[in-house]
Amino acid sequence: MKHKPVRYVWVPIVIALLAIPAGFVYVNWSKSGSGAGLYSRQWLPQAVFAYWDPDDFYDSVQTMKGTFKGKECVACHEGVTPGIVKDWRASRHSQAGKKVYCSDCHGNDHQNLHLPTPDVCGGCHATQHGQFQDEKRYGFPSHALAMERALDAKHFVDKPKAEVTACLQCHSVATKCDSCHTRHRFNAAEARRPEGCITCHSGPPHPDDETYFASKHGQLYLKEGQDWDWSKPLQKGNYKAPTCAYCHMRNGKHQVADKSIWKFGIRQVNPLTSNNEVKRDQWVKVCSDCHEADWSRQRLAELDKERKQAWQKLYAAERVLKDLRADGMLYPAAEERPPYPNDWMGRYLPYERIGFFEGQASAFFNVSPIERDYFEMWYFDNLGAYKGAAHADPAFVAKGHAAMERKLTAIRRAANVLRTLGEEEKAIGRRAAPQELWLKGEYTEYNREHN
Amino acid sequence: MLDGYDPCVASDGLSRGKNLSAARAMSILQRAGVNAVFMLLVFFTGAGGTAWAAGDDQPPAGEFSNGDCIRCHRKTSPDLIDAWQQSAHGKSKPAVANCVTCHGNTHQGATKKARRNSVCIDCHGGEKDPVVHSYATSKHGIILRLEQKEWDWSQPLEQANYRAPGCAYCHLHQGNHNVSAGVRQDIMHTTKQEDVAEVMRAVCQDCHAPRYVTRLFENGEAMLNIGRMKVREAAGLLQQARTEFSPEELTATEQRFNKMRSHHLKNVLLGVGHQSPDYQWWHGHPALDGDLLRIKGGIGELKRLRVITDKTADEVVRQTGR
Repeated sequence: MKHKPVRYVWVPIVIALLAIPAGFVYVNWSKSGSGAGLYSRQWLPQAVFAYWDPDDFYDSVQTMKGTFKGKECVACHEGVTPGIVKDWRASRHSQAGKKVYCSDCHGNDHQNLHLPTPDVCGGCHATQHGQFQDEKRYGFPSHALAMERALDAKHFVDKPKAEVTACLQCHSVATKCDSCHTRHRFNAAEARRPEGCITCHSGPPHPDDETYFASKHGQLYLKEGQDWDWSKPLQKGNYKAPTCAYCHMRNGKHQVADKSIWKFGIRQVNPLTSNNEVKRDQWVKVCSDCHEADWSRQRLAELDKERKQAWQKLYAAERVLKDLRADGMLYPAAEERPPYPNDWMGRYLPYERIGFFEGQASAFFNVSPIERDYFEMWYFDNLGAYKGAAHADPAFVAKGHAAMERKLTAIRRAANVLRTLGEEEKAIGRRAAPQELWLKGEYTEYNREHN
Repeated sequence: MLDGYDPCVASDGLSRGKNLSAARAMSILQRAGVNAVFMLLVFFTGAGGTAWAAGDDQPPAGEFSNGDCIRCHRKTSPDLIDAWQQSAHGKSKPAVANCVTCHGNTHQGATKKARRNSVCIDCHGGEKDPVVHSYATSKHGIILRLEQKEWDWSQPLEQANYRAPGCAYCHLHQGNHNVSAGVRQDIMHTTKQEDVAEVMRAVCQDCHAPRYVTRLFENGEAMLNIGRMKVREAAGLLQQARTEFSPEELTATEQRFNKMRSHHLKNVLLGVGHQSPDYQWWHGHPALDGDLLRIKGGIGELKRLRVITDKTADEVVRQTGR
């Protein structure tokens, strides 16, 4: 009796010792499929993914045989793809004492070429590469983790791959340096300009372009930016107004999202944790290049306040939806709508995803209209308001909050209709079947088979 | 298919690895050939800013009406006029966009002016129109916006003479005035439009590797097809609904469907064509998803109401009890 407890202690220890390596083995196994990321076994890549995620998918062209010196590459490609060669000739790579030739980055065996990843660029640009990789420790949102973020997103896995190519195009900021330093010029000055960011940082969930350009900072840039000397580093005194890179990459630091307090506006955060206070001090330092520190703190506090107000509205909508779910009033219910193709758990335990922590990021398709309303309120209006507040565009903040108010009203009204219909149906014991409408159809069926 | 394209080899089967200098000579000759053909073309046609330098013949001074342009250029550059008349610009009578619209009414700077995006944007809806905005936020549009002031706009629209393509570089490539040659006329159907892709593929390859272009085009076509599936699914549901419900009951759903087809599917097309990830995605596919589910929601609500009000409706099930 005396020794028994001691013996039982081994049970959890043995289980843990088995479970931990088994977990690693399982994750590794799940990452070793035809696709990439955590769900790699559940999808096949498109051929074009080779160019967005070269580490996982690039395959060399096989049409040319032989190994070539840099000068030979240039000679032939002047005919094949003159634009690339012209760009390279205008770049520092062709002017440096020791030229950086095509073969230095792509390899010299034409049947075993590679697409340069950040590691290749890092071979020479070690400081920037090191900083860029270091950004990973700050977690999401992140440039360095962007590709993982896309590949491991359930809605990416669930959708036909040709449909979601655009995701990888922007999220390839993690896997290629030319998202910002466009090939084959690779110009630092180009990436310092705000326009360098807006191919990806635009559109409903992240109107960084609209909000920045509408701000006083952006207005100054638009008026005078073309005359500024963009070869100057992103340091105090060098630019009359800040740009994306000035604030987010101060002093040229490539940890772009190292000061992210509000996490893109995507979920509610406590902005006053000690960790966030450190980031806040760093923000104040950036603003203090031009503004007074106290004044800057007040602006940041206003952002806290804006976030709080936004989440009050969002949670009000979320409550309406969760009440509907609890009362079985959502139409169609989870089991009556197309399942997400890879969500095996959802097949046995169907549920409606309401709120960030339930996987609402997938709630833009295969959901009832009222859930889509909330998705848009959360992902478009709320994130837009956040960007407006962060980039000092008060009109955009007002627009976002007005839109959230409107959506909240619309959601409440729609909820009343759903309840009225649901209760009437209960009373008469009959209900129109949603399955025909929701489960059949060309795309719906295609999506179930192809992802 | 295009994987095999390589002028260094394809021109005469020359082995690229064995004889570089010959290959290089071929490549240079080829470029020289293209330039020579172009020079001859502009010499004989009198079109383009360089023609007069080559022929030592100044273009006539003064102001011209569109009729004047056509009368003279019908003789000096008939192909150009024909191409224009085949295009959406010149097909209708009166023409939507004529010589003067893009080139101005004098020969002074006429070519340079028409190569700039601004002449296109004025008619194509302005900066915020999806046609313009999808391009403006693409990497091509960004590079052009940042660098266009430094470019030599007297260069012909070919051979990557511009670091990034503007509207005219792709849609009037090598001065081809049939601007419609590389534009899909019917967004819902692919038949008989393979030549459209071919026209554009040739343009992209001024800068991009042939295989990259092929893969991008194939992917874009597939992405557009998926968009069409969504539209067809909605169209089918709506067609069925029209037999069950009155036009008044379906007003909002019909409007949504129209927007789905004419705006959101077009956004996907523009996103693919202009290489804007934002138009492929946020303005495109998720917008189509929203349309589809709201069309289903709209029709579903009518069906529910009918079951509640009409006791004889047959499409009913027992309450699920959920």
